[in-house]
Amino acid sequence: MNEKEYEMIFCIINAGFSEEVMDAAREAGARGGTVIRARGTAGKEAEERFSITIHPDKEVLMILVPKDIKDAVLEAVYKSAGMGTAGQGIAFSMAVNKTVGLQ
Amino acid sequence: MPFWDKLKGNERDNSEEKQENEPERNGSAAPFGLELLITIVEKNKAEFYMDMIQAYEVNFQFSAPAHGTAKAEILNYLGITDTDKAVIFSVVREDKLDDLAYMLEQKFKTVKNGKGVAVSVPFTSMIGTSVYAFLCNAVNTVKGDE
Repeated sequence: MNEKEYEMIFCIINAGFSEEVMDAAREAGARGGTVIRARGTAGKEAEERFSITIHPDKEVLMILVPKDIKDAVLEAVYKSAGMGTAGQGIAFSMAVNKTVGLQ
Repeated sequence: MPFWDKLKGNERDNSEEKQENEPERNGSAAPFGLELLITIVEKNKAEFYMDMIQAYEVNFQFSAPAHGTAKAEILNYLGITDTDKAVIFSVVREDKLDDLAYMLEQKFKTVKNGKGVAVSVPFTSMIGTSVYAFLCNAVNTVKGDE
């Protein structure tokens, strides 16, 4: 069991952009990630209000990083696939209590 | 009087007489903390690990198919053909987490193709007493929606 402080970064991006995001995250110091397929639920009302098109097929990219590089990875993710890009991604991090299996 | 005592129909303040398996949680209404355990393992080992985790009084878990992000050239270099994984989400009681983490650590080291990563994230709030009782397996403490 590892007590070193880690954070889990979740990136919700349009399907097909996970490699691009992961490349950016690697450059900022991340080692690897796991991708889950998902589906967005934003309604038509939101699409009209914000004049954006919601791509329903999504990918959730989970990247576990040490706390000290979290900001750099988040920034890299935002630059490569933020809301202003084709990836239309959002990213957030959560502090994790315990980690097992990391070396 | 703590909200939890009302649920149990216990009118007196019995903070000193708490049962052994009900840890004091700084005045929290809920006797057991809950955490979301996220376990990432090889796809074909997901069922094995879910069975293992279930033994730690885990009543609710689900898995989602996923894949790793290793690049093709690295996979070719190492002779790995697929990156299919499963992400298991389990709701675990805080007091069971240390034992569960130890078990997972041992299994990750010893099971063939069973390497994985697990992290836990604490829950901060929850609505519904019966749902809470179900998630923390408090079978003798909460009956129905009392």
